Amino acid sequence: MSISRRDCLKLGALGGGAAMLGGCANLAGRIAQRPERLALPTAGAEENLRLVHRTTFGPRPGDVARAKALGKEGYVDSLLKAGEDEEPRLQFLLNRLDVFQMDAYETQELPENEVLRQLQAAALLRAVYGRHQLRERMVDFWTNHFNIYSRKGLSAFRKATDETKVVRQHALDTFPNLLKASAHSPAMLMFLDNQGNTSGHPNENYAREIMELHSLGVKGGYTQKDVQEVARCFTGWTIERRFLRHRWTFRFDPDLHDNGTKRVLGHTIPGGGGEKDADIVLQILSTHPSTAHFIASKLCAAFLGADGGKWTDQTAQTYLNTGGDIRAMLRPLLLSKDLIDSPPILKRPFDLIASSLRALDADTDGGKDVQNHLEKMGEPLYQWPMPDGYPTKTSAWTGSMLPRWNFAHQVASGAVGGTRYDSTSLKEPELIYETLLGSRPASSGSLLLDSVAREIKNHPEDSTSACFLCLASPEFQWR
Amino acid sequence: MPLKRDDWMTCGSDAGQTKRLSRRDLLGGSGFHLASWTGLRSALADIAIAKNGAEPGHDILVSIFLRGGADGLNAVVPYFEDAYYRNRPNLSVPPPKAGGAHLLDLDGKFGFHPALAPLLPAFREGELAILHACGSQDGTRSHFEAMAAIERGLAYEGSGPTSGWIARHLASTQKESDSPLRAVAFGGTLPDSLRGARTAVALESLSDFRLDVPEEQQAHFHHVLGELYAGGKDEVLHAGGETLAVLDSLKKIDPKQYRPANGAKYPTSDLGQGLLQTSCLIRANLGLEVAALDRGGWDTHYAQGSTVGIFTLSLDDLAQSLAAFRQDMGQEMRRVTVVVMTEFGRRLAENAGLGTDHGRASFMMVLGGGAKGGHVYAKWPGLEPHQLDETGDLRVTTDYRDVLGEVLQSRMRNDHTPDVFVGYVPKPIGITTPLKA
Repeated sequence: MSISRRDCLKLGALGGGAAMLGGCANLAGRIAQRPERLALPTAGAEENLRLVHRTTFGPRPGDVARAKALGKEGYVDSLLKAGEDEEPRLQFLLNRLDVFQMDAYETQELPENEVLRQLQAAALLRAVYGRHQLRERMVDFWTNHFNIYSRKGLSAFRKATDETKVVRQHALDTFPNLLKASAHSPAMLMFLDNQGNTSGHPNENYAREIMELHSLGVKGGYTQKDVQEVARCFTGWTIERRFLRHRWTFRFDPDLHDNGTKRVLGHTIPGGGGEKDADIVLQILSTHPSTAHFIASKLCAAFLGADGGKWTDQTAQTYLNTGGDIRAMLRPLLLSKDLIDSPPILKRPFDLIASSLRALDADTDGGKDVQNHLEKMGEPLYQWPMPDGYPTKTSAWTGSMLPRWNFAHQVASGAVGGTRYDSTSLKEPELIYETLLGSRPASSGSLLLDSVAREIKNHPEDSTSACFLCLASPEFQWR
Repeated sequence: MPLKRDDWMTCGSDAGQTKRLSRRDLLGGSGFHLASWTGLRSALADIAIAKNGAEPGHDILVSIFLRGGADGLNAVVPYFEDAYYRNRPNLSVPPPKAGGAHLLDLDGKFGFHPALAPLLPAFREGELAILHACGSQDGTRSHFEAMAAIERGLAYEGSGPTSGWIARHLASTQKESDSPLRAVAFGGTLPDSLRGARTAVALESLSDFRLDVPEEQQAHFHHVLGELYAGGKDEVLHAGGETLAVLDSLKKIDPKQYRPANGAKYPTSDLGQGLLQTSCLIRANLGLEVAALDRGGWDTHYAQGSTVGIFTLSLDDLAQSLAAFRQDMGQEMRRVTVVVMTEFGRRLAENAGLGTDHGRASFMMVLGGGAKGGHVYAKWPGLEPHQLDETGDLRVTTDYRDVLGEVLQSRMRNDHTPDVFVGYVPKPIGITTPLKA
């Protein structure tokens, strides 16, 4: 179907006036619709594949069968339990990363790029090897929710502690605990400038973003005046830097605090409260219905994609009933039929790389070579400069198809340094397809399977091209 | 509050990085994205046949977004305002002819920050128009709301469709035979201004934009990917098809061999390199109409500095990059219009961290042969307390859509600007010379 501009304008004219462009844009939007429901569940195996896709960084060989064996509730509850035991291989690889064995202050002995390299390696290693995959997905989610740009000032040296003590520790805890930990995190105090927020001329950066991005949401009912008042409450929340004191921990400096009375979101906070002023703010924000709604809507979208909206109100209510218990909010979502039936979600680059490596059952050091591919696709970890985290909307990512294909080819041909996989078992087209896509083709006459078969026919001893096409295929880009 | 030693170290470390980092430096990063709008077409086969060589009969638009909220009050300084110096005891830039680093006078009222010196020739030669007290009607002071408003061509976020103003401009001027390279943007993710394009391609650099398979397999895999991504029924299939079309187009040029003209030297920053590659695409005559670039690093809540510091380094990069582009383009600037914008300006009063918080109005720039330059266009609202808004911010007296709308109408031959701006009829300011009919 080809629609000319004239048709579009004509359609717009029917709508009249300001609606016109909306009509035109919608028309374009209709053509550029979300994909047909790829790999819709037609059999039990497909349903389990979707469940694994949404709760992990992609199926490893055997994962779908394991989910099936455990049954839906058994599988979901095992994910939510998320114990502390880890794969020995992962533990071994993580133990080689110094930044996680050192105090934040000490890590300054390392070059900044090395600190960042180790942080990035750890994230990818955990996503690829981690036993408790739902926690890893939530770490990725909260890392973006509480995004910290590691190239700002000394953030890189403080991010490891933030990742461990804030994001990872509270990934499946309660949201109020997570918010509180983040507010005390030296990396966050630095990134959003609260370390320079002092009585007299408060710095509004953190005060605004904690409401807009971390808790209430931009439509959450706060005003510019609230931003200024919250900034006053947070004056003096800074980083320990005194001589011979423990460096780079949280510190409240009463000399920098504004001791006057404040009024935040309709609550009066009496003067003289000191450090407690901001504790009260955290309490107000944590229990606010707007926060419940905002966090719920983001969680629902993360797991149900376009169908998330249907679950937001119910999940927000769970937040309010349980004091923001993250597991309690997630469980119904993960068990929902909408998780299985919702339109697919585009893999972000980090998803794409982790899921490729998992599908190939590859061994990786998570090092520079594989991280370079992540950067070329547009998602170098800890380097999104704005405080809102990497975008989730599909349209932000469809621009970078070429680096995805190039990664697929490099990894399939064993050309990504520090990353290898065993291709000797991948000989039959059907087996290659099933291993990498997680299931047999939904119908006979799969274009991808035909292409894979053709490559194997032409190169019976070399499955590189077949694996490349699977990983570069349109099907593999969704989850 | 006096800054502590660690703070200065922090600041210094940032400052060092602006020079060192080639990618994503500082807040906002610098991106350069490539995107191409296929608009209301469906058959990918059509797209693969690019129309090359013909001059389009309108300008090439280069749209630069300064992300983070650039401080217009310290970039183009109203030095006649006593209130400016009163409210910024530490951050203000000394007036023209003061000792040490000082403002460069533009018109007896406004002066360039010294880091903008490379743009003075363009201003004096009439190719650079400055606008001040510009912005949207978004009063949230949220980066994301304010950026969304401008990138979507709206009064404020949520008041219209989510497609971008550049995407709608391209849609409303779509021809049957348009090139897959009508619009480019460089970087890893696509900006909202191009959203709504059914497909869009981002690239980090022109010379890296090749399918990374052995030479003898290029044609084969190009073909197989074409089969797998045929049909274009969803966003990924479209993007794949578009990527293959762009690969075809770019085969015709060799970006590695490209050298700027007239001895121009671009900064190594993302913005500088993005403009260099824009120049390469313009000269290659591949049908480029719009290039969208970003320059981040403007969210200066802390340690902004007066004539040294983060803000100065950012302005320096902006000015050097634009000046190099102008020098490189030379006579070609007659068919190029550059527009520079930001989501909001910053508060008049400095904060305790020697920085500034989110404000309202800021500056814009229009650079090109078609600009009526050498003038600061401002319905100046004033900086005294009764003249500022309720938060103490510079009021918006020029709608950014009047600037973009005039450029589209007068230099891009777009007769549908109310469509681009969703019902808003831009009011021409007179900052450009219209193209002849």
